[in-house]
Amino acid sequence: MSEHTPLTRASESESKVFLTAVWAIVWKDLRIEQHTRQTISVMVMFSVVTVIMFNFALEANLDAARNVATGLLWATILLAGTLGLNRSLAIERENQTIDALLMAPIPRNAIYLGKVISVTLFTLALEVVLILLFIVFFDKPLWRPVVLLVLVLGTIGYVAAGVIVTSMTIQTRSREVLLPVLLLPLSLPLVLPSATAVALYMFPQQPVWGEVQSAVSIIIIYDLLMLTAGFLTYHFVVES
Amino acid sequence: MITSPRFDKTLRIFNWVAAASIFIALLVAFFYAPVERTMGNVQRIFYFHVGSAWVGAIAFFVALAAGVLYLRKSDRKWDTLALASVEIGLVFLTMATVAGSVWGKPAWNTWWLWSPRLTLITVAWLTYAAYFMLRGAIEDEERRGRFAAVYVIVAFVTIIMAYVSVRILRDIHPVVVGGAMESAQGASEGLQEFSGLDSAKMGISLTVSTTAFSFLYIAWLLNRIRLQRIADAVKDLKIQVTTRLQGDHA
Repeated sequence: MSEHTPLTRASESESKVFLTAVWAIVWKDLRIEQHTRQTISVMVMFSVVTVIMFNFALEANLDAARNVATGLLWATILLAGTLGLNRSLAIERENQTIDALLMAPIPRNAIYLGKVISVTLFTLALEVVLILLFIVFFDKPLWRPVVLLVLVLGTIGYVAAGVIVTSMTIQTRSREVLLPVLLLPLSLPLVLPSATAVALYMFPQQPVWGEVQSAVSIIIIYDLLMLTAGFLTYHFVVES
Repeated sequence: MITSPRFDKTLRIFNWVAAASIFIALLVAFFYAPVERTMGNVQRIFYFHVGSAWVGAIAFFVALAAGVLYLRKSDRKWDTLALASVEIGLVFLTMATVAGSVWGKPAWNTWWLWSPRLTLITVAWLTYAAYFMLRGAIEDEERRGRFAAVYVIVAFVTIIMAYVSVRILRDIHPVVVGGAMESAQGASEGLQEFSGLDSAKMGISLTVSTTAFSFLYIAWLLNRIRLQRIADAVKDLKIQVTTRLQGDHA
């Protein structure tokens, strides 16, 4: 018993350091956002413009617009998401704060997890606005809990892939151009079931959980795989 | 280091083995394999389609393993192996898709439809095609290898998802690699029943064509690695010549 105590204590304090580091990074990003309001405002502005554009394009046929609403919702989230990812990670390069983060005596995975959480929070904030807009424009019950669950789970997986890919693309020549080319195909296995699940759950008067169960399990598998892959490979991406 | 542009002996042997085995596989598919009951001769595409799809999956798995090894050892040869394997995997995936499309026209009465299986294969294709965009955007060799290795690991998630999703979602495309129940389902959807003499012959034909495609993969892989090594050697030589010339002028 006494032999095990130092070990458990060491691993306990290690995980404590890890969680403190993650929390510090999330808190830092939220504070920066609170002062600059750059990331969320850009994402929201872009989304509003996109949604209004879609509305004009589909105005002739409102029923058609309602049927493709979930596709539009996810397309808007994905495109606005690339803006948010670029902004959130480029800021670290521009101000050279990434070097400070890397020098800090914390595990690199903590930086990854912190970034995933903060960008997820930004994207979720955007989704709140988007849901309101879609309810107004398309008159669909997007507030149903299962729809919200799918949105949250889908966002986590998308950002988990996004942080690792963006960390690479911002260090390349083509930067912003390269990100959607790499990230959009990579996130499609997640977005397709998410869009299907949202559509399945939104349209009927009495939605059934069994209909979306398989899609939700696919989303969860993707989330876990992507988080694991990002967690294990992140430190290779930020090394210089 | 490669000094001679000629093929070495091993490579020549592998090239011949691949060519011969593909020829045998064609003979088997056309003359040995029985005529399928419901689809007729069209079903012979099956051996080509499954063979190339199988090798495509293997190629991406090899790329994943090479990526992991590169990150651990930082040895250039693993980067070359990953690059070669992704490139060839993409070719095999394209072959499988084209063959599947040709088969789909008589079997489903359409060249293409967006079923989960077909969609996810397209997604995997796009993901691995983007691998070359990433490589092209990075000049520094060490960083290119590192990022490409990370990307190839992350990209494999799409292959896993394609595998998982078709087992969870309903699909028009039969599952060939899997349990007996799935085979039975595949049988009821088109392929002949997986029992009796005819299906034994089909099984043998499939094994032969898969083996042939695997030999083709190995031969292409070795050739591609050789090409990459020559390209690298030329690049190194260029650098040497440039530094020598600059040294002369100074």
